Amino acid sequence: MHNLIAFFRRFRIFMLFALLQIYALTNYFTYLNFPRSQWLTSSSVVASAILTVRNSITKHWALTENNIALQEENVRLRKKISPSFIRIDNQLVKIDDSLYLQQYDYVPGIIINSSCNQRNNFFTINIGEKQGIKRGMGVFSDKGIIGVIHNTSDHFSVVKSVLTESVNVDVIIESSGAFGLLKWDGKDPRRGSISGISNDIKIKKGSKIVTRGGAGNFPRGLTVGHIETLKSVEGKPLWDVSFIFSENYRVVQNVYVVKNLLQQEQNKIEKEIPEDIQQ
Amino acid sequence: MKLIITQFLRFILFIVAQTLIFNNLEIGFGIQIMVYPLFLMLLPFDTSIVILLLLAFVMGISIDAISNTYGLHTSSLLLVAYLRPIIFGIFSPREGYDSIKESTIFEMGQRWFISVFGLLLVIHHLWFFALEMFKMSEILLILKKTLFSVPVSFLLCILLQIVFVTKPKEK
Repeated sequence: MHNLIAFFRRFRIFMLFALLQIYALTNYFTYLNFPRSQWLTSSSVVASAILTVRNSITKHWALTENNIALQEENVRLRKKISPSFIRIDNQLVKIDDSLYLQQYDYVPGIIINSSCNQRNNFFTINIGEKQGIKRGMGVFSDKGIIGVIHNTSDHFSVVKSVLTESVNVDVIIESSGAFGLLKWDGKDPRRGSISGISNDIKIKKGSKIVTRGGAGNFPRGLTVGHIETLKSVEGKPLWDVSFIFSENYRVVQNVYVVKNLLQQEQNKIEKEIPEDIQQ
Repeated sequence: MKLIITQFLRFILFIVAQTLIFNNLEIGFGIQIMVYPLFLMLLPFDTSIVILLLLAFVMGISIDAISNTYGLHTSSLLLVAYLRPIIFGIFSPREGYDSIKESTIFEMGQRWFISVFGLLLVIHHLWFFALEMFKMSEILLILKKTLFSVPVSFLLCILLQIVFVTKPKEK
């Protein structure tokens, strides 16, 4: 017993150091996959208050660019609505039909905190549970996809951006139909890569990459980027596809969160797969 | 009392400056500027290591909470706090440290400051980037990031001292 007390006395500083270090490290490694400790993130009350103040000052700096981007999007959408079309055939009668059912709903938000130079980059946006945001929902901007909601508080949420190690959004190459998972190697915030595309599929450089919409958190066909280079993976029948993101993550501010109204239905039917196999 | 108030103000200012200004400076080449180890460096020589560790922990947690890093900054800053007395011991002048003096670049001389703070900053950045990547295959990227970030952080730390720390009067 005496020896034990002497031992603790001798190593008490190292033990305090080790204790605090273990706390910090467990927090870091668990949070990357399972958001638990809410108070340590930028969606907590104090941190989000500071960030909101900062955003209210800095948001004006890129105002012109953001307005132009929103205006372009407006023009694109305006082309699709009915006043832009002339009726050609007077014989047809339009009836409100039930052929279309709304599947996706969008909630607008503003990025108040972001980084691009770390291995795992998380963005904070100014909407949260009060606006119906839940973990796992997709986030995109007018030019491309941003990421997936990782953690939420009442009025703020943290987005796990595509600039992280394991965001795993499923994407599809529009011209060929090949699909794979989006990856980021942590080096350049302008370039990403796609894994899992078999090298017997012909792929053209410059083809457009869009979301596949398989997991239900993104609608199909949102732009992700354009293919820059193609290399074959050594020893595997796979392409190493590198592409340029269509969104510039260093300046993006206005985003939309995707609410999939049929998500529960999809989850329910997908849960039934393993049960069928077991029988 | 005056000492505690100055240190407290410095503590807040370093957190604010790091999270709201330096985290948002993106120069490219993987450079990430981290100046907050300077706060630990500038604490008085006779600060006990327990206080150093606790201050490092609170400061790291605050920076992590605002910049969404969940413990990376805390872990690297704790390492700096733990190693500070050891490295100070290695580089101590022949007659020991004068507890009236502050460990700024002006009072301790350029040579001492560059070797001690340079070493602490390299350890801090190396630990930070190694934890961030956490892969042996990425070791070149870790070294590259450290190599580019340390000089920039170091120069900014010297600039901060030139601007904000009052120089001792010439005798």
